[in-house]
Amino acid sequence: MRCMPSVYIHVPFCVQKCDYCAFYSHSLLHSPKDLIAMYLEGLEIEMEKRKKDAPQGVSSLFIGGGTPTSLKDEDLERLMEMIDRHFRLNPKAENTVEGNPGTITAAKLSCLRRYGINRFSLGVQAFDDKLLKVVGRMHTAHEAREAIRRLRAAGLENINLDLMFGLPAQDMAIWQATIEEALSYSPEHLSLYGLMLEEGTPLYSRYKEGLIDETDETDKMVKTGDKRNSKTDFKSRCGPAKDNQRERLPDDDLQAEMHEWAVERLKRAGYSHYETSNFARPGYECRHNLGYWRGDDYIGLGPGGVTCLNRVRWKNIEEVRTYQSRLQKGQEPVDEAGQEALTLRECMAERVILGLRLEEGVNLTSFRNDFGVDLRDIYGDVLERYKNKNVFVFKGEYLCLNSKYSFVANSVLQEFI
Amino acid sequence: MAQASQRIRNFSIIAHIDHGKSTLADRLIEYTGALSKREMEEQVLDSMDLERERGITIKLQAVQLSYKAHDGEVYELNLIDTPGHVDFTYEVSRSLAACEGALLVVDAVQGIEAQTLANVYLALENNLEIIPVINKIDLPSAEPERVKQEIEEVIGLDASEAILSSAKTGIGIEEILERIVLTVPPPQGEDQAPLKALIFDSKFDAYKGAISYVRIVEGRVSKGTKMKMMATGKVFEVTEVGVFAPAMRIIEELKAGQVGFIAASIKNVKDTQVGDTITDAENSAVSALPGYRKATPMVFCGLYPVDASDYNRLRDSLEKLHLNDASLVFEPETSVALGFGYRCGFLGLLHMEIVQERLEREYDLNMITTAPSVIYKVNTLKGDVIHIDNPSNLPPVDAITSIEEPIVKATILVPAEYVGSIMELNQEKRGTYCTMDYVSKSRVKLIYELPLSEIVFDYFDQLKSRTKGYASLDYELSGYKETDLVKIDVLLNGEMVDALSFIIHRAKSYKRGRQLVEKLRGIIPRQMFEIPIQSVIGNKVIARETVSAMRKDVLSKCYGGDISRKRKLLEKQKVGKKRMKQVGNVAIPQDAFMAVLKIED
Repeated sequence: MRCMPSVYIHVPFCVQKCDYCAFYSHSLLHSPKDLIAMYLEGLEIEMEKRKKDAPQGVSSLFIGGGTPTSLKDEDLERLMEMIDRHFRLNPKAENTVEGNPGTITAAKLSCLRRYGINRFSLGVQAFDDKLLKVVGRMHTAHEAREAIRRLRAAGLENINLDLMFGLPAQDMAIWQATIEEALSYSPEHLSLYGLMLEEGTPLYSRYKEGLIDETDETDKMVKTGDKRNSKTDFKSRCGPAKDNQRERLPDDDLQAEMHEWAVERLKRAGYSHYETSNFARPGYECRHNLGYWRGDDYIGLGPGGVTCLNRVRWKNIEEVRTYQSRLQKGQEPVDEAGQEALTLRECMAERVILGLRLEEGVNLTSFRNDFGVDLRDIYGDVLERYKNKNVFVFKGEYLCLNSKYSFVANSVLQEFI
Repeated sequence: MAQASQRIRNFSIIAHIDHGKSTLADRLIEYTGALSKREMEEQVLDSMDLERERGITIKLQAVQLSYKAHDGEVYELNLIDTPGHVDFTYEVSRSLAACEGALLVVDAVQGIEAQTLANVYLALENNLEIIPVINKIDLPSAEPERVKQEIEEVIGLDASEAILSSAKTGIGIEEILERIVLTVPPPQGEDQAPLKALIFDSKFDAYKGAISYVRIVEGRVSKGTKMKMMATGKVFEVTEVGVFAPAMRIIEELKAGQVGFIAASIKNVKDTQVGDTITDAENSAVSALPGYRKATPMVFCGLYPVDASDYNRLRDSLEKLHLNDASLVFEPETSVALGFGYRCGFLGLLHMEIVQERLEREYDLNMITTAPSVIYKVNTLKGDVIHIDNPSNLPPVDAITSIEEPIVKATILVPAEYVGSIMELNQEKRGTYCTMDYVSKSRVKLIYELPLSEIVFDYFDQLKSRTKGYASLDYELSGYKETDLVKIDVLLNGEMVDALSFIIHRAKSYKRGRQLVEKLRGIIPRQMFEIPIQSVIGNKVIARETVSAMRKDVLSKCYGGDISRKRKLLEKQKVGKKRMKQVGNVAIPQDAFMAVLKIED
């Protein structure tokens, strides 16, 4: 029994949603005024209910969204006060807030600092106004620079910058410039995400028609092997543009090259590539997220928040009103579809799948302690199958994925399911 | 008694695919009131979904129509349906042998096709009275006069009396029925003679066993009769006899001239073979009816379950299909790459496709089909002759003195302007020219000898595409011929995948070997590792391609709120991959095993 779970709080509001985002979030521009009040009311009841699950406090806190910093000053204050009252925030723990440029003011930062927030994750994505506009980001590159300055000015010594590659109209040169600029601010942590086109997002709809072509094109390329080994120019490496060239999406190969380039560059700059998409200066690995990858318990509060305690996982209802009204009636804010009792097999699979995302790998001792079996016995056949290709590496009491394959890991990871 | 058979007419319909045979049959059934309109929707002659979709008849059916003619008498008309495809020529010939007349249905726009011609010849061989019907005259482009002329010139039938019909709108239906009564001769057989019943189809029924669809040529049969199969000598006791109305209706007795069914608790359709003669074991006929032939498969392929645990289900499903289809043969075989499966023999390509589709649809099997092969006769140094229906079984080159391949005589009917393209095609397909005749001013009949393996390859598609669909083809096996053949093997990631081996003429081998690896490179998706693809003859590599390693296949983000969703995403990917066959570390899509067929010359 692990003692302290981590706590995640979901703030389902944004100034406006980005075109690629599939998370549950309301646009503040289009929401009724009372929605935030309802959200906070519901959240308070939920905290009251859940605090028993963290009797000894929380190992880390992460306030994410949405855009937590899009809340008005007084709402943010109320949120922080509420969290502190229920979970006794420990300033020595890692306490992160996520936010987007354009919503970060000195006043908000000072509020957060007062409650012990000591890490900030900033959604920069790109330092290029054209790219930001294409994917529907609400801010400019200038605002991102300004936000970083304010974070530092507020005394934050642990900053993460989120950056994206594979954006429409992004090429290698733009990506490299983005990384270089990010490095110039010496962030403690960097998350690099490849764009995923998710169903139901405006970007997905926008690209659907074009995308079908694009995927076909990619497929064809994959299938016929055309251009596979040749370095061709950017234009032909991207899908067909619907109207103008700016909207082209980089293909998988180009995305892989962008990723590989960044991995090399960040290593040279002293960052460790400690998880598939995450990089940190020594000692600044995100502890909250490490908890997820190592299989620790976590509590997720707020609409859409996901909790996993003792192999039972549930997801809160996303819709704010239903979430709040259920809680007010004394019910759990969860519907049947949101509940999942994980089988031992599923837990083990998740442990491996998540653990192999980490540079350190899966801890074999914890695995045996938690599941009562040796990983090598359970998954011996998979390990054997990939033996001659050196896909897996044993390092002390850890099993890791050969870093050569970390960007093509899915087909191996499937084998553990 | 003799008078009763005077009011029987047995006939079938000869038509090319799409010329409206099924619609016409439906119309005849509807007109004579055998079924209501509503029932028609549910029950037509083409009873399998597959048949309806493809618009062809695969299994024959029979139906008894009761028609009150203009002379005031009520006639029993037995319509025996025939399958409309070259693979089933033998079945067609037995159906026709069960009749005294046939409607020759020709599309008023399309005119006569090779298949129709072949079936008309079969009908003439069986001395059938042929009634020409020009169908689809409601179409604006209908040219009944031209088609009449064609019938006269091509077949030599008097078409002046041809009935103009539209099965779709109902024009000419009554005239057809009346003409059947007037011109198709009543059956001749003597009902006091020893029993002779011709099996023209059989079907397996879970309760009644294998049911023979018969035409009683002479004598009579009823419940309790000890019947004997003249080809196999097996004896069974009749449990039921009946007619098709169109549902099976049990009656007391079937007599000479009638068409109906006989059930005798027979366990397997192998014992009710099409073309066999049923007689009375206690009062046997002296000789069987002529024309019996054992069904011989011409095309073979391997069927393997994608998931090895489906092997037993595949066997059960094949056995079930075999209950109704004695011409389907199968025996277990093992492939190094694919594991346990079956080598199956079919009458032809269509038959093969139908069986595959039925296995997939009706039995929900996820299968790998290997490229079809013909039977080669291999003469070995030891002096043996081996029949090879699976290329991977070909003995080593140094053990072979010669290889012979099956040759067919192909009849192609084509508009004159395409003669050049057809000749070119036949040249490419190693054909030997035999004859060319103008069957009318604008249509030509070409006869070629062609290797069956070339027909199996992609001949039919080529024929259609080079003639805008106007050419039609019929063929029959004419013999074997020694040819310079070689076997091409395929290596994936250095390992030989036996299921991809094929036999080909030496002159084409290099080109085909190259095309195949190129095709495979397109079909095999990129994977974690680079995959070399090679085609080899013996130890000699003749072509090589490489599927380069995949570069991105990763969940870019995975945090607490997302773990379940991401796990499901991986599960989904895994299911997708399961549709592929894992050979060593390489996942091969099912269609890769048919790739050799998809090469365009």
